[in-house]
Amino acid sequence: MEQVIANGLYLGAQYALVALGLTLIFGLMNVLNFAHGQMYVLGGFITYVVYGQLGLPFVVAVLASGVTLAVVGGLMERYLFRTVIKRSHREESTMLLAAATAFFFDAVILLVFGEKQRGVPKIVKGVFNDFGVILPYDRIVVGLVAAVLILGFIAFMKFTKPGRAMRALAQDRTAAQLMGVEVDRYTMIGFALGAMLAGVTGGLLVSITGVNSGIGGPISIKAFMMIMIGGAGVVSGAIAGGFILGMMESVGLTVLREYGDVTYLVIFAALMIFLSIRPNGLMGKPWG
Amino acid sequence: MTQILDFRNVDLFYDHVHALRGVSLSVNQGETVALIGANGAGKSSILRAITGLRRIRSGEIHYDGQRIDGRNPADLVKAGIAMVPEGRRVFPYMTVKDNLLMGAFTRTDKAGIAQSLEMVLTRFPRLKERYGQAAGTMSGGEQQMMVIGRALMAKPRLLLLDEPSLGVAPKLVQDIARSIVAINRDENVSVLLVEQNSRMALRISQRAYALTTGVVALSGNSSDLLSDERVKSLYLGGEL
Ligand SMILES: Nc1ncnc2c1ncn2[C@@H]1O[C@H](COP(=O)(O)OP(=O)(O)OP(=O)(O)O)[C@@H](O)[C@H]1O
Ligand SMILES: [Mg+2]
Repeated sequence: MEQVIANGLYLGAQYALVALGLTLIFGLMNVLNFAHGQMYVLGGFITYVVYGQLGLPFVVAVLASGVTLAVVGGLMERYLFRTVIKRSHREESTMLLAAATAFFFDAVILLVFGEKQRGVPKIVKGVFNDFGVILPYDRIVVGLVAAVLILGFIAFMKFTKPGRAMRALAQDRTAAQLMGVEVDRYTMIGFALGAMLAGVTGGLLVSITGVNSGIGGPISIKAFMMIMIGGAGVVSGAIAGGFILGMMESVGLTVLREYGDVTYLVIFAALMIFLSIRPNGLMGKPWG
Repeated sequence: MTQILDFRNVDLFYDHVHALRGVSLSVNQGETVALIGANGAGKSSILRAITGLRRIRSGEIHYDGQRIDGRNPADLVKAGIAMVPEGRRVFPYMTVKDNLLMGAFTRTDKAGIAQSLEMVLTRFPRLKERYGQAAGTMSGGEQQMMVIGRALMAKPRLLLLDEPSLGVAPKLVQDIARSIVAINRDENVSVLLVEQNSRMALRISQRAYALTTGVVALSGNSSDLLSDERVKSLYLGGEL
């Protein structure tokens, strides 16, 4: 039991981080970023190169992942999404653009990094074994770092000027403009921040699960499930969705093990029923 | 008398809809000017043009002696133009406090912001009671007071109000009208007031413009317009 909870929390923290980035981008610009998983993968490969191959410290590698993805996200907003949103009033235009960038990233990642699964040396050795819980130290470290990042993100949105500007933008764009919020600037910052979260998580996780060029799509799907559970565009919803999915996965892998690989089948079915009852998720309101 | 706002011969379009046709109007320093007209006459479009939310096709807009058409909204807030938009547009999931602070977004003078906050809360004591409450959960009248307060937090010199009586309980309309008069008198701010409630608007303003389908049909002193037969039949619904 304790083991299941510990695993769930560890998974939940990293999932929530991915979902936060996705929900931020959605809340700010109504864009469903289908390329979110690919951004995670890109972050993973950058840490793989900087830490695993160049041998620089892990912290530096993860920072490199974050910064690179922030730049990539900023450029995507500035030169792709902003232009499309200005020119087209149809919502599906940005969805198609997001899907196209996802395919593009997939192709680039495959070309540059190949199709092999890549891993890096462990960041901390040893295993925690007490209170009925067995958990390698590196998972504990990654889980804690993820938790700190989540708290940092919440504090940033609540207490800083850019944070308040982004919340205002998500709640009422026109009103935010009338308050003097520079819409273009803060939308770009938000997109960059969302991409950065994906990149950092990918970088952190490469130390545990490794990375390969094919996992972008599946990660995106998980991220979308989380914001479906929690409610799109809501910070608390993304966090709740992340931890709920992490917990369900952890429970499922233990309880359903004897029935084979059916955990996600069950989760999908449960999600469909849940959404038919509560289509806006648990907290279906933007930016509380 | 110096003009704080001079709106000259402006044309504005939404795709093929010609919403403003050569509209000219002005607001003098310290004045309250009313802008009345039926639904779709173009009242909000005038305010959107002034604040830079919508580009004009031709004409010129001058504020405080400077040409401002083409400048972006954030710039104009800094220059001292604040707007209370139609339909209030509160930030529904933010507290009253955070909403008010958003009004001071472009300001950096901490002491000045604290002063403005104090002034707003004194002027609208209801907001003090609701200070930590999410703005979306308040009544229409309370929300209206809050967005007027939010606009004042920018320390504006020109305040644009778009239908502040809309969706507000009748007995609160009086209160809001009184606050507008007091703000204009005490806060060194000129007011351009858009209203469907023409009688109220004409009573609290010095001058007024009546708009019909994108054209200024009538203008003059508010007290004259209030007793003008054409105004009575067109904008005051006949009864009096
Ligand atoms: N975003 C828009 N797209 C297309 N047409 C618009 C848009 N906004 C306003 N219009 C049109 O422009 C004209 C003027 O609209 P405006 O909102 O300025 O009127 P108004 O006097 O404020 O009316 P109301 O009393 O209903 O608020 C109307 O014919 C309206 O239909
Ligand atoms: Mg209007």
